[in-house]
Amino acid sequence: MRPPSTALLRAFSPIWRTESLPWTARGCLAQQTAPFSSAEQRMAREKGRLKTDMRITVIRYHMKHPLTPRPLRFSRNRALRHWTIHRAWRLYQSKLRQSRQLELERQYNSMASACEALRLIDSHGLTAEERSRLGEPEVSEGGREVGRLYRIAMRKDEVWKGVPIEYAKIQTDSPPRDGWNHAWTK
Amino acid sequence: MALQRASRPVARCVRQSNLLNKRTLATTTIEPGFTDAAPPPPPSAPPSRTRNPLTASTPAAEKQLAQQRQVPVGSRRRRAALASTTQIPFVQLPYQCFQEARAFLREDRQEKLEAIRAQRDKIARLGDQVVVGEQDGEVERRKQREKENRVRSMGRRLAEMKVLADINDPVVKKKFEDGQSDMSKPIYRHLADAKWRSYKRVLLLQRLTQMHVMPDVLPALDPVVSTELAFPTSANSTTSKLRSVHHGDFVPSALAEHAPTLWIQPYDQGTRLCTIVVVNPDVPNVEKDGFDYRCHYLAVNLPVSPTDTRVRLGEVESQRKGDVILDWLPAYAQKGAPYQRMSIIILEQPSPAPTLTSPFGTAAQSRVLDVNQITEDPRYITRQGFKLRSFVDRYSLKAVGADLFRTKWDEGTAGVMQRAGIVGWDVEFLRKRVEPLPYQRMGGERYR
Repeated sequence: MRPPSTALLRAFSPIWRTESLPWTARGCLAQQTAPFSSAEQRMAREKGRLKTDMRITVIRYHMKHPLTPRPLRFSRNRALRHWTIHRAWRLYQSKLRQSRQLELERQYNSMASACEALRLIDSHGLTAEERSRLGEPEVSEGGREVGRLYRIAMRKDEVWKGVPIEYAKIQTDSPPRDGWNHAWTK
Repeated sequence: MALQRASRPVARCVRQSNLLNKRTLATTTIEPGFTDAAPPPPPSAPPSRTRNPLTASTPAAEKQLAQQRQVPVGSRRRRAALASTTQIPFVQLPYQCFQEARAFLREDRQEKLEAIRAQRDKIARLGDQVVVGEQDGEVERRKQREKENRVRSMGRRLAEMKVLADINDPVVKKKFEDGQSDMSKPIYRHLADAKWRSYKRVLLLQRLTQMHVMPDVLPALDPVVSTELAFPTSANSTTSKLRSVHHGDFVPSALAEHAPTLWIQPYDQGTRLCTIVVVNPDVPNVEKDGFDYRCHYLAVNLPVSPTDTRVRLGEVESQRKGDVILDWLPAYAQKGAPYQRMSIIILEQPSPAPTLTSPFGTAAQSRVLDVNQITEDPRYITRQGFKLRSFVDRYSLKAVGADLFRTKWDEGTAGVMQRAGIVGWDVEFLRKRVEPLPYQRMGGERYR
C-alpha cells in the first residue's frame, strides 16, 4: 500500500517555501530594520508580547467592517456644498444619457429614411413621382426595377462572417435537450 | 488660531471684491439686511486697534475689549469661529468642485429660463389663435375644447418648468430649511407642499379616517391645503397667547370657548374664496336614540392665498374679510355623553363655468356666494341638524381641506355653557340600564 501523498504539506515545509509568497504574508518575512517611530521600539522591548500576524489583521478588518458605508456626517455648509455637487453631477449624467439617446434616435431615423429612399428609387435613381414629373414611362423594364438596392441592403448574407456563429445563439437558462447540432448547414 | 491665520487672506480678498453681495445663481429676492453669512462684524484688525466684541477671542484681545468698556458677545469659540469664517458668503466659498458645480447649474438654469420664455411665447401664440369654423357647430366647439385643453396642459408644463429651474439652487434649499421661504414663488410652494405631503398630510388623513370624519361629515375628502389650528387663551384673540392644537386633539372646553385662529396654506397660485364650516356630528339625540349634526361656525367668502394664510374666525366680520353666517358657538359635550368630534371643513367656491385660466398668474376663479340667499334658507341658519352634504351640494362647493379637534365634558364645560347661554348645562346623560337576560343563574361554583 502506498503511503499518502505529502504534496499538499509541502507548502508548509520550510525547505520547499518559495520566494513568491502572497502579498499579505510578505510583511511577516521582510523585517523593517530602521524603526519608523519610537513606539515600535518600545513595543519590541516589551517581552512576551505576541506580534499579530498581518493576515489575521486583514481578516479581522474585513470581518469587522460592514459592507454599508458609514453615513455622511457633515456640517451645514459642507452638507449643502455636497448636495450642490451631487445635484450637478446627477444633472450632468442625465444630460449625457439624454444626448446619447437622442444621438441613437437620430442615427436610427437617418438609417430608416435612407432605407425608405432606397426602397422607392429604381436603377436610374428616380422615384415614381419624379418619373411621372419627368414624363418617363411608368413601366418597370429590365434595368429600372424599383427597390433593387433596398432588397440588396436588406440581405443578411455574411452577417456573422467575422464572428463565431455561436455568438448568434440566444442565451437561455438551460442547455437544449438535443445539444448542439454540429452537422447543421444553411 | 492657525485656522484664522490661514483663512484671513482669502476672506480679505473676497471682502474687497465688490461681488460680495451679488448673488449670481439665485433668483430669489434678498432683503437688504440679509446675507447668507452671520451679521458682518467690522474688519478684524483695523489700524485704530479697537477690538470687536463679536470677534475678539484671545485673552489679550478680551483685555483690550475690557479697556474699551465693552463685553464680548457669545462664547470664545463662537467669536473665534466668527472671526475666521463668516466673511465669505456661502455661494463664494472657495472650493473648486463646488464652484464648478455651481457654474454648471447656473448654465443649466439659463437654458431652463430660455425654455420657459419659449413656452410662454408658445402659449401666448396659441391663446391668440381663433378657432374658425361654422358658428355654433359641433366641430367648432370640439376644436375650442381641444385648444383650451392644450393651453391648460401647456400651463401645467410651464409651472413644472418654473419649479425645475430653481430646484437645484443651494440657496433656495437653505432658505427653505431656515423658514425664510417666500410663498409667492413656485419653488418654495413646491418644496413646502412636498414637505407637508411627506408627513403632516398623512397624519391628518389618518386622523380623519380613524375618527370617521369622512363618511360621517362628508363622503370623501382629499386635502390639498394644509391647516393649522390654535385657540386663544383669553377672549381678545389679537393680544392673547395662542395655544396650537394638533389634528384630532382633545381641547379643554375653557380653551375652546373663543373662536380659534386657523392657518390655511394653499400650495397653488392665486387668491381664492373659501367657506369654513365647523360641524359636530356627535350631538346626542335621545328621542331617536342616535346622533345629530350641529353647526358651530359658518363663514363664507373668505379670501385665502399662499402668502395670506391666517384666518381669525372671531374677527372675520370686523376685518371685513368675509361674511359670517353662524358665529362661533363654544365646543361643548354634556356630562355623560361620549366625546364629540369637531370637524373643521374648508370648502372652495369654484366659479360655475371654469373659464380659460391664464397660466401667467391670474387668480384662481372664485364665485362670491350671496349671503342674503343663504340666510333666507332656514336649513343653513339653524345650527341643529345642519347637513354639510346638503350645503355642499346646494352651492356646489369643493372640499379642499380639513382640521379636527375633539371635546368632552370637563370641569370648565358648565361655566362655558352658562356664559354662552346654552340650556342643558346641568343635564347628565346616563346609560340605560341593561336588564339581564331571563336565564336562570347557575351556582357560583361552576365559575371557579
